[in-house]
Amino acid sequence: MSSTKGINFPTLSLKDALDLAILIEEEACERYQEFADQMEIHRTHEAAQFFRLMAGNEEKHRSELAARRVERFAAQPSSVTRSMIFDIEAPDYDEARAFMTERAALRAALRSEEKAYAFFVAALPQIKDDAVRALFEELRDEEVEHQELVRREIKKAPADPNLPDDDFGDEPVGQ
Amino acid sequence: MATATNPDSSATSTFTSKDFKSDLKPIWCPGCGDFGVLQAIYRALAAIGRPPHEIAFISGIGCSSRIPGYTTAYGFNSVHGRSLPIAQGLKLARPELLVLAAGGDGDGFSIGGGHVPHAIRRNDDLTYIVMDNQTYGLTKGQLSPTSPKGQRTVTSAHGSLENPVNPLMYVLAYGASFVAQGTPADIPGLTAIIEEAIRFPGFAFVNVQSPCVTYGEENQQIKHHKAVMKKLESVGHDATSRIQALDKAQTYGTELLTGVFFRDPTPPPTLGALVRQRQEALMPNAAPRERILDLFVQR
Repeated sequence: MSSTKGINFPTLSLKDALDLAILIEEEACERYQEFADQMEIHRTHEAAQFFRLMAGNEEKHRSELAARRVERFAAQPSSVTRSMIFDIEAPDYDEARAFMTERAALRAALRSEEKAYAFFVAALPQIKDDAVRALFEELRDEEVEHQELVRREIKKAPADPNLPDDDFGDEPVGQ
Repeated sequence: MATATNPDSSATSTFTSKDFKSDLKPIWCPGCGDFGVLQAIYRALAAIGRPPHEIAFISGIGCSSRIPGYTTAYGFNSVHGRSLPIAQGLKLARPELLVLAAGGDGDGFSIGGGHVPHAIRRNDDLTYIVMDNQTYGLTKGQLSPTSPKGQRTVTSAHGSLENPVNPLMYVLAYGASFVAQGTPADIPGLTAIIEEAIRFPGFAFVNVQSPCVTYGEENQQIKHHKAVMKKLESVGHDATSRIQALDKAQTYGTELLTGVFFRDPTPPPTLGALVRQRQEALMPNAAPRERILDLFVQR
Protein backbone atom coordinates (compact mmCIF):
# COMPACT_ATOMS: atom_id res chain seq x y z
CA MET A 1 0.00 0.00 0.00
CA SER A 2 1.85 3.08 -1.20
CA SER A 3 1.52 6.56 0.25
CA THR A 4 3.19 9.96 0.36
CA LYS A 5 3.40 12.59 3.05
CA GLY A 6 4.22 16.26 2.80
CA ILE A 7 4.84 16.38 -0.98
CA ASN A 8 3.37 19.43 -2.63
CA PHE A 9 3.11 18.24 -6.25
CA PRO A 10 1.97 21.59 -7.75
CA THR A 11 5.12 23.32 -6.46
CA LEU A 12 7.53 20.45 -7.02
CA SER A 13 10.73 21.63 -8.72
CA LEU A 14 12.69 19.51 -11.20
CA LYS A 15 15.46 19.05 -8.63
CA ASP A 16 12.97 17.76 -6.03
CA ALA A 17 11.21 15.60 -8.60
CA LEU A 18 14.51 13.98 -9.57
CA ASP A 19 15.35 13.46 -5.90
CA LEU A 20 11.95 11.92 -5.33
CA ALA A 21 12.43 9.54 -8.25
CA ILE A 22 15.87 8.59 -6.90
CA LEU A 23 14.36 7.87 -3.45
CA ILE A 24 11.61 5.74 -5.02
CA GLU A 25 14.20 3.60 -6.84
CA GLU A 26 16.35 3.41 -3.68
CA GLU A 27 13.40 2.22 -1.60
CA ALA A 28 12.49 -0.45 -4.17
CA CYS A 29 16.11 -1.59 -4.42
CA GLU A 30 16.37 -1.99 -0.64
CA ARG A 31 13.08 -3.91 -0.42
CA TYR A 32 14.12 -6.32 -3.18
CA GLN A 33 17.42 -6.85 -1.37
CA GLU A 34 15.50 -7.55 1.85
CA PHE A 35 13.27 -10.01 -0.02
CA ALA A 36 16.31 -11.72 -1.55
CA ASP A 37 17.84 -12.06 1.92
CA GLN A 38 14.58 -13.48 3.31
CA MET A 39 14.40 -16.01 0.48
CA GLU A 40 18.01 -17.09 0.98
CA ILE A 41 17.46 -17.56 4.72
CA HIS A 42 14.37 -19.66 3.96
CA ARG A 43 15.98 -21.74 1.19
CA THR A 44 13.95 -20.25 -1.65
CA HIS A 45 16.82 -19.78 -4.06
CA GLU A 46 15.09 -19.13 -7.42
CA ALA A 47 12.99 -16.33 -5.95
CA ALA A 48 16.08 -14.99 -4.14
CA GLN A 49 17.95 -14.87 -7.42
CA PHE A 50 15.07 -13.04 -9.10
CA PHE A 51 14.71 -10.49 -6.28
CA ARG A 52 18.48 -9.88 -6.38
CA LEU A 53 18.14 -9.20 -10.12
CA MET A 54 15.28 -6.77 -9.47
CA ALA A 55 17.38 -5.00 -6.80
CA GLY A 56 20.11 -4.61 -9.43
CA ASN A 57 17.63 -3.15 -11.93
CA GLU A 58 16.31 -0.65 -9.42
CA GLU A 59 19.85 0.36 -8.48
CA LYS A 60 20.66 0.86 -12.17
CA HIS A 61 17.64 3.16 -12.54
CA ARG A 62 18.60 4.99 -9.36
CA SER A 63 22.16 5.63 -10.50
CA GLU A 64 20.99 6.84 -13.93
CA LEU A 65 18.66 9.33 -12.27
CA ALA A 66 21.37 10.32 -9.78
CA ALA A 67 23.76 11.07 -12.67
CA ARG A 68 21.13 13.31 -14.29
CA ARG A 69 20.56 15.06 -10.98
CA VAL A 70 24.28 15.75 -10.47
CA GLU A 71 24.71 16.95 -14.06
CA ARG A 72 21.82 19.39 -13.73
CA PHE A 73 21.93 20.48 -10.09
CA ALA A 74 25.35 19.37 -8.81
CA ALA A 75 25.41 19.17 -5.02
CA GLN A 76 22.50 21.51 -4.29
CA PRO A 77 20.82 20.30 -1.09
CA SER A 78 17.74 18.13 -1.33
CA SER A 79 14.44 19.14 0.19
CA VAL A 80 12.74 15.76 -0.09
CA THR A 81 13.41 12.81 2.21
CA ARG A 82 12.63 9.10 2.38
CA SER A 83 10.05 9.77 5.08
CA MET A 84 7.90 11.51 2.43
CA ILE A 85 7.36 8.35 0.43
CA PHE A 86 6.26 4.88 1.31
CA ASP A 87 6.23 1.76 -0.86
CA ILE A 88 5.79 3.60 -4.16
CA GLU A 89 7.64 0.96 -6.18
CA ALA A 90 8.76 -1.34 -3.36
CA PRO A 91 6.76 -4.56 -3.06
CA ASP A 92 4.56 -4.76 0.06
CA TYR A 93 6.10 -6.82 2.87
CA ASP A 94 3.28 -9.36 2.72
CA GLU A 95 4.13 -10.22 -0.91
CA ALA A 96 6.97 -12.44 0.27
CA ARG A 97 6.39 -16.10 1.13
CA ALA A 98 8.78 -18.88 1.98
CA PHE A 99 9.15 -21.29 -0.95
CA MET A 100 7.39 -18.89 -3.32
CA THR A 101 7.81 -19.90 -6.94
CA GLU A 102 9.64 -17.87 -9.54
CA ARG A 103 6.26 -17.09 -11.08
CA ALA A 104 4.90 -15.82 -7.73
CA ALA A 105 7.99 -13.63 -7.33
CA LEU A 106 7.47 -12.23 -10.83
CA ARG A 107 3.82 -11.50 -10.00
CA ALA A 108 4.89 -9.61 -6.87
CA ALA A 109 7.26 -7.55 -9.02
CA LEU A 110 4.49 -6.89 -11.55
CA ARG A 111 2.18 -5.56 -8.82
CA SER A 112 5.00 -3.24 -7.68
CA GLU A 113 5.50 -1.89 -11.20
CA GLU A 114 1.74 -1.33 -11.42
CA LYS A 115 1.82 0.55 -8.10
CA ALA A 116 4.61 2.81 -9.37
CA TYR A 117 2.68 3.46 -12.59
CA ALA A 118 -0.43 4.34 -10.56
CA PHE A 119 1.65 6.78 -8.47
CA PHE A 120 2.85 8.73 -11.52
CA VAL A 121 -0.61 8.66 -13.13
CA ALA A 122 -2.17 10.07 -9.94
CA ALA A 123 0.55 12.71 -9.49
CA LEU A 124 0.61 14.03 -13.09
CA PRO A 125 -2.63 16.08 -13.05
CA GLN A 126 -1.30 18.00 -10.03
CA ILE A 127 2.03 18.93 -11.66
CA LYS A 128 2.37 22.54 -12.81
CA ASP A 129 6.01 22.64 -13.94
CA ASP A 130 6.58 21.51 -17.56
CA ALA A 131 9.98 19.95 -16.91
CA VAL A 132 8.60 17.99 -13.93
CA ARG A 133 5.64 16.85 -16.01
CA ALA A 134 7.98 15.63 -18.75
CA LEU A 135 10.04 13.72 -16.20
CA PHE A 136 6.99 12.11 -14.58
CA GLU A 137 5.61 11.15 -18.01
CA GLU A 138 8.94 9.57 -18.88
CA LEU A 139 8.96 7.64 -15.58
CA ARG A 140 5.32 6.59 -16.02
CA ASP A 141 6.09 5.24 -19.51
CA GLU A 142 9.12 3.37 -18.18
CA GLU A 143 6.86 1.63 -15.67
CA VAL A 144 4.73 0.42 -18.59
CA GLU A 145 7.84 -0.97 -20.27
CA HIS A 146 8.87 -2.69 -17.05
CA GLN A 147 5.41 -4.23 -16.70
CA GLU A 148 5.62 -5.62 -20.23
CA LEU A 149 9.05 -7.01 -19.51
CA VAL A 150 7.81 -8.76 -16.36
CA ARG A 151 4.70 -10.10 -18.14
CA ARG A 152 6.93 -11.65 -20.82
CA GLU A 153 9.00 -13.31 -18.09
CA ILE A 154 5.84 -14.61 -16.38
CA LYS A 155 4.85 -16.34 -19.62
CA LYS A 156 8.26 -18.03 -19.77
CA ALA A 157 8.30 -19.04 -16.08
CA PRO A 158 7.42 -22.62 -15.07
CA ALA A 159 3.76 -23.11 -14.20
CA ASP A 160 2.72 -22.87 -10.53
CA PRO A 161 2.14 -26.20 -8.77
CA ASN A 162 -1.41 -25.01 -8.03
CA LEU A 163 -1.19 -25.66 -4.31
CA PRO A 164 -2.57 -23.33 -1.62
CA ASP A 165 -0.23 -20.92 0.19
CA ASP A 166 -0.55 -22.99 3.38
CA ASP A 167 1.44 -25.76 1.76
CA PHE A 168 4.39 -23.42 1.44
CA GLY A 169 4.63 -22.21 5.04
CA ASP A 170 8.08 -22.33 6.55
CA GLU A 171 8.83 -22.34 10.24
CA PRO A 172 10.89 -19.80 12.14
CA VAL A 173 14.59 -20.46 11.72
CA GLY A 174 17.41 -20.10 14.22
CA GLN A 175 19.85 -17.20 14.42
CA MET B 1 23.26 10.97 6.19
CA ALA B 2 21.11 13.76 4.80
CA THR B 3 20.17 16.73 6.92
CA ALA B 4 16.58 17.71 6.33
CA THR B 5 13.49 18.89 8.09
CA ASN B 6 11.59 15.71 8.69
CA PRO B 7 7.94 16.04 7.70
CA ASP B 8 7.01 13.25 10.10
CA SER B 9 8.15 15.32 13.02
CA SER B 10 7.93 18.79 14.39
CA ALA B 11 11.61 18.59 15.26
CA THR B 12 14.50 18.79 12.83
CA SER B 13 16.01 15.35 12.58
CA THR B 14 19.35 14.54 11.03
CA PHE B 15 18.60 10.81 11.05
CA THR B 16 17.13 8.45 8.51
CA SER B 17 15.72 4.95 8.92
CA LYS B 18 19.06 3.52 7.75
CA ASP B 19 20.81 4.92 10.84
CA PHE B 20 18.76 2.57 13.02
CA LYS B 21 19.08 -0.56 10.87
CA SER B 22 21.70 -3.02 12.08
CA ASP B 23 23.71 -5.42 9.91
CA LEU B 24 21.87 -8.41 11.37
CA LYS B 25 19.33 -9.77 8.87
CA PRO B 26 15.87 -10.60 10.28
CA ILE B 27 15.13 -14.31 10.17
CA TRP B 28 11.35 -14.01 10.52
CA CYS B 29 9.26 -16.00 8.05
CA PRO B 30 8.81 -14.09 4.77
CA GLY B 31 5.49 -12.22 4.92
CA CYS B 32 5.63 -11.87 8.75
CA GLY B 33 3.97 -8.73 10.12
CA ASP B 34 7.03 -7.97 12.22
CA PHE B 35 8.94 -6.76 9.13
CA GLY B 36 6.46 -3.91 8.81
CA VAL B 37 6.61 -3.16 12.55
CA LEU B 38 10.40 -2.98 12.37
CA GLN B 39 10.16 -0.61 9.40
CA ALA B 40 7.72 1.60 11.37
CA ILE B 41 10.09 1.62 14.37
CA TYR B 42 13.05 2.69 12.16
CA ARG B 43 10.98 5.48 10.67
CA ALA B 44 9.63 6.64 14.05
CA LEU B 45 13.12 6.70 15.57
CA ALA B 46 14.40 8.69 12.59
CA ALA B 47 11.61 11.20 13.14
CA ILE B 48 12.35 11.44 16.87
CA GLY B 49 15.92 12.38 15.97
CA ARG B 50 17.88 10.96 18.88
CA PRO B 51 21.10 9.10 18.08
CA PRO B 52 21.13 5.29 18.44
CA HIS B 53 23.49 5.44 21.42
CA GLU B 54 20.86 7.36 23.40
CA ILE B 55 18.23 4.67 22.83
CA ALA B 56 17.83 1.28 24.52
CA PHE B 57 15.54 -1.47 23.31
CA ILE B 58 14.59 -4.18 25.81
CA SER B 59 12.68 -7.31 24.80
CA GLY B 60 11.63 -10.67 26.20
CA ILE B 61 11.61 -13.92 24.25
CA GLY B 62 9.80 -14.78 21.04
CA CYS B 63 9.84 -13.95 17.33
CA SER B 64 9.12 -10.26 17.92
CA SER B 65 11.57 -10.06 20.81
CA ARG B 66 14.38 -10.38 18.28
CA ILE B 67 13.75 -6.76 17.37
CA PRO B 68 16.53 -5.13 19.47
CA GLY B 69 19.14 -7.03 17.45
CA TYR B 70 17.85 -5.54 14.24
CA THR B 71 18.38 -1.97 15.43
CA THR B 72 21.59 -0.04 16.06
CA ALA B 73 20.29 1.13 19.46
CA TYR B 74 21.50 -0.54 22.63
CA GLY B 75 19.52 -3.73 23.03
CA PHE B 76 18.84 -6.52 25.49
CA ASN B 77 16.97 -9.64 24.30
CA SER B 78 16.27 -10.61 27.89
CA VAL B 79 14.24 -13.26 29.72
CA HIS B 80 10.74 -14.44 28.75
CA GLY B 81 8.14 -11.92 29.95
CA ARG B 82 10.67 -9.71 31.75
CA SER B 83 11.19 -6.87 29.32
CA LEU B 84 9.21 -4.41 31.46
CA PRO B 85 11.00 -4.85 34.82
CA ILE B 86 14.36 -4.60 33.06
CA ALA B 87 13.25 -1.56 31.06
CA GLN B 88 11.97 0.13 34.25
CA GLY B 89 15.22 -0.55 36.08
CA LEU B 90 17.21 0.84 33.19
CA LYS B 91 15.05 3.96 32.97
CA LEU B 92 15.46 4.63 36.71
CA ALA B 93 19.23 4.14 36.53
CA ARG B 94 19.72 6.03 33.26
CA PRO B 95 16.79 8.49 32.97
CA GLU B 96 18.41 10.30 30.07
CA LEU B 97 18.02 7.25 27.79
CA LEU B 98 15.02 6.75 25.53
CA VAL B 99 13.84 3.31 26.61
CA LEU B 100 11.59 1.07 24.54
CA ALA B 101 10.30 -2.35 25.51
CA ALA B 102 8.97 -4.85 22.98
CA GLY B 103 7.71 -8.39 22.75
CA GLY B 104 4.83 -10.58 21.75
CA ASP B 105 1.39 -11.17 23.25
CA GLY B 106 2.55 -14.29 25.06
CA ASP B 107 5.56 -12.47 26.45
CA GLY B 108 3.46 -9.49 27.54
CA PHE B 109 0.13 -10.94 28.59
CA SER B 110 0.91 -14.45 29.75
CA ILE B 111 4.46 -14.99 30.96
CA GLY B 112 4.97 -11.31 31.71
CA GLY B 113 1.34 -10.45 32.36
CA GLY B 114 1.96 -9.69 36.02
CA HIS B 115 4.48 -6.99 35.19
CA VAL B 116 2.19 -4.91 32.99
CA PRO B 117 -0.06 -3.43 35.76
CA HIS B 118 2.99 -2.47 37.82
CA ALA B 119 4.69 -0.76 34.90
CA ILE B 120 1.44 1.15 34.34
CA ARG B 121 0.94 2.22 37.98
CA ARG B 122 4.61 3.24 38.31
CA ASN B 123 4.26 5.24 35.09
CA ASP B 124 7.88 5.44 34.09
CA ASP B 125 8.60 7.11 30.79
CA LEU B 126 8.67 3.98 28.60
CA THR B 127 7.13 2.91 25.32
CA TYR B 128 5.92 -0.68 25.29
CA ILE B 129 5.26 -2.15 21.84
CA VAL B 130 3.47 -5.50 21.79
CA MET B 131 3.48 -7.42 18.52
CA ASP B 132 0.26 -9.29 19.01
CA ASN B 133 0.19 -12.22 16.57
CA GLN B 134 -2.27 -14.26 18.65
CA THR B 135 -0.04 -17.32 18.72
CA TYR B 136 3.27 -18.61 20.08
CA GLY B 137 5.01 -18.54 16.70
CA LEU B 138 8.61 -19.22 17.67
CA THR B 139 7.66 -22.47 19.41
CA LYS B 140 5.57 -23.56 16.41
CA GLY B 141 2.08 -22.23 16.94
CA GLN B 142 0.60 -22.96 20.35
CA LEU B 143 -2.42 -21.19 21.82
CA SER B 144 -1.45 -17.76 23.20
CA PRO B 145 -3.31 -15.44 25.60
CA THR B 146 -4.81 -13.44 22.73
CA SER B 147 -5.71 -16.39 20.45
CA PRO B 148 -9.37 -16.04 19.47
CA LYS B 149 -11.88 -18.47 20.98
CA GLY B 150 -12.28 -21.41 18.65
CA GLN B 151 -8.78 -21.05 17.10
CA ARG B 152 -7.26 -24.39 16.14
CA THR B 153 -3.63 -24.72 17.07
CA VAL B 154 -1.30 -27.58 17.94
CA THR B 155 -2.47 -27.23 21.55
CA SER B 156 -6.16 -26.74 20.71
CA ALA B 157 -6.83 -29.25 17.95
CA HIS B 158 -10.62 -28.88 18.26
CA GLY B 159 -10.55 -25.12 18.78
CA SER B 160 -9.73 -22.99 21.83
CA LEU B 161 -12.32 -23.01 24.62
CA GLU B 162 -10.82 -19.93 26.29
CA ASN B 163 -11.76 -16.28 25.92
CA PRO B 164 -8.78 -14.23 24.76
CA VAL B 165 -7.15 -11.49 26.82
CA ASN B 166 -8.05 -8.07 25.46
CA PRO B 167 -4.74 -6.15 25.68
CA LEU B 168 -6.41 -2.78 25.16
CA MET B 169 -8.98 -3.26 27.94
CA TYR B 170 -6.24 -4.68 30.16
CA VAL B 171 -3.99 -1.63 30.03
CA LEU B 172 -6.83 0.91 29.96
CA ALA B 173 -8.40 -0.63 33.07
CA TYR B 174 -5.08 -0.42 34.94
CA GLY B 175 -4.87 3.29 34.13
CA ALA B 176 -2.39 3.54 31.28
CA SER B 177 -2.15 7.14 30.08
CA PHE B 178 -1.42 6.37 26.43
CA VAL B 179 -2.98 3.43 24.62
CA ALA B 180 -2.90 2.87 20.88
CA GLN B 181 -3.25 0.12 18.30
CA GLY B 182 -1.79 -0.30 14.83
CA THR B 183 -1.16 -2.83 12.13
CA PRO B 184 1.69 -3.39 9.66
CA ALA B 185 -0.99 -3.22 6.96
CA ASP B 186 -0.67 0.56 7.45
CA ILE B 187 3.02 1.21 8.11
CA PRO B 188 2.82 5.03 7.79
CA GLY B 189 -0.06 5.03 10.30
CA LEU B 190 1.84 2.71 12.62
CA THR B 191 4.93 4.94 12.35
CA ALA B 192 2.90 7.96 13.47
CA ILE B 193 1.45 6.00 16.41
CA ILE B 194 4.88 4.78 17.58
CA GLU B 195 6.36 8.25 17.23
CA GLU B 196 3.53 9.72 19.30
CA ALA B 197 3.91 6.97 21.92
CA ILE B 198 7.64 7.69 22.23
CA ARG B 199 7.00 11.42 22.61
CA PHE B 200 4.31 10.84 25.26
CA PRO B 201 5.65 11.66 28.75
CA GLY B 202 4.93 8.44 30.66
CA PHE B 203 4.11 4.79 30.09
CA ALA B 204 2.82 4.41 26.54
CA PHE B 205 1.36 1.18 25.24
CA VAL B 206 1.08 0.26 21.55
CA ASN B 207 -0.65 -2.96 20.57
CA VAL B 208 0.30 -3.95 17.04
CA GLN B 209 -1.79 -6.68 15.46
CA SER B 210 1.15 -8.24 13.66
CA PRO B 211 0.07 -11.33 11.71
CA CYS B 212 1.87 -14.65 11.96
CA VAL B 213 2.11 -15.76 8.34
CA THR B 214 2.94 -19.35 9.28
CA TYR B 215 0.47 -20.21 12.05
CA GLY B 216 -2.17 -17.47 11.74
CA GLU B 217 -5.59 -17.92 10.18
CA GLU B 218 -6.54 -16.24 6.91
CA ASN B 219 -8.60 -13.59 8.71
CA GLN B 220 -5.54 -12.63 10.77
CA GLN B 221 -3.34 -11.81 7.77
CA ILE B 222 -2.26 -8.42 6.42
CA LYS B 223 -4.47 -8.80 3.35
CA HIS B 224 -7.48 -9.09 5.67
CA HIS B 225 -6.27 -6.17 7.80
CA LYS B 226 -6.07 -3.98 4.68
CA ALA B 227 -9.69 -4.80 3.93
CA VAL B 228 -11.17 -4.23 7.39
CA MET B 229 -8.98 -1.75 9.29
CA LYS B 230 -10.61 1.49 10.30
CA LYS B 231 -8.97 4.58 11.78
CA LEU B 232 -10.39 5.70 15.13
CA GLU B 233 -10.45 9.30 13.95
CA SER B 234 -12.82 8.27 11.15
CA VAL B 235 -15.41 7.00 13.65
CA GLY B 236 -15.48 10.22 15.68
CA HIS B 237 -13.48 8.90 18.62
CA ASP B 238 -12.48 11.27 21.42
CA ALA B 239 -9.05 10.06 22.52
CA THR B 240 -9.14 12.20 25.69
CA SER B 241 -11.96 10.09 27.15
CA ARG B 242 -11.02 6.88 28.94
CA ILE B 243 -14.67 5.81 28.93
CA GLN B 244 -14.88 6.16 25.16
CA ALA B 245 -11.56 4.35 24.86
CA LEU B 246 -12.83 1.44 26.96
CA ASP B 247 -15.96 1.31 24.83
CA LYS B 248 -13.99 1.18 21.57
CA ALA B 249 -11.47 -1.27 23.05
CA GLN B 250 -14.26 -3.82 23.41
CA THR B 251 -14.14 -4.25 19.63
CA TYR B 252 -10.76 -6.04 19.95
CA GLY B 253 -11.08 -9.38 18.19
CA THR B 254 -14.12 -8.41 16.15
CA GLU B 255 -13.04 -5.15 14.48
CA LEU B 256 -9.65 -3.67 13.68
CA LEU B 257 -9.63 -0.09 14.93
CA THR B 258 -6.30 1.72 14.60
CA GLY B 259 -4.97 4.90 16.14
CA VAL B 260 -4.84 6.36 19.63
CA PHE B 261 -7.54 4.97 21.93
CA PHE B 262 -6.56 7.08 24.91
CA ARG B 263 -4.16 9.94 25.46
CA ASP B 264 -4.38 11.48 28.92
CA PRO B 265 -4.74 15.25 28.37
CA THR B 266 -3.07 15.89 31.74
CA PRO B 267 -0.47 13.12 32.00
CA PRO B 268 0.45 12.24 35.60
CA PRO B 269 4.08 12.72 36.71
CA THR B 270 6.42 9.91 35.78
CA LEU B 271 8.11 7.75 38.39
CA GLY B 272 11.46 9.24 37.39
CA ALA B 273 10.17 12.76 37.98
CA LEU B 274 8.76 11.80 41.41
CA VAL B 275 12.01 10.12 42.41
CA ARG B 276 14.01 13.19 41.44
CA GLN B 277 11.54 15.41 43.34
CA ARG B 278 11.90 13.21 46.44
CA GLN B 279 15.68 13.24 46.18
CA GLU B 280 15.72 17.02 45.96
CA ALA B 281 13.32 17.34 48.93
CA LEU B 282 15.41 15.04 51.12
CA MET B 283 18.77 16.41 50.06
CA PRO B 284 18.98 19.29 52.63
CA ASN B 285 18.53 16.85 55.55
CA ALA B 286 20.57 14.05 54.07
CA ALA B 287 23.33 12.64 56.22
CA PRO B 288 26.85 13.13 54.89
CA ARG B 289 27.77 10.29 52.60
CA GLU B 290 30.47 8.98 54.99
CA ARG B 291 27.84 8.69 57.76
CA ILE B 292 25.22 6.79 55.77
CA LEU B 293 26.55 3.43 56.98
CA ASP B 294 25.97 4.60 60.54
CA LEU B 295 22.24 4.60 59.88
CA PHE B 296 22.37 0.82 59.54
CA VAL B 297 24.59 0.15 62.52
CA GLN B 298 23.10 -0.25 65.99
CA ARG B 299 25.19 1.39 68.67
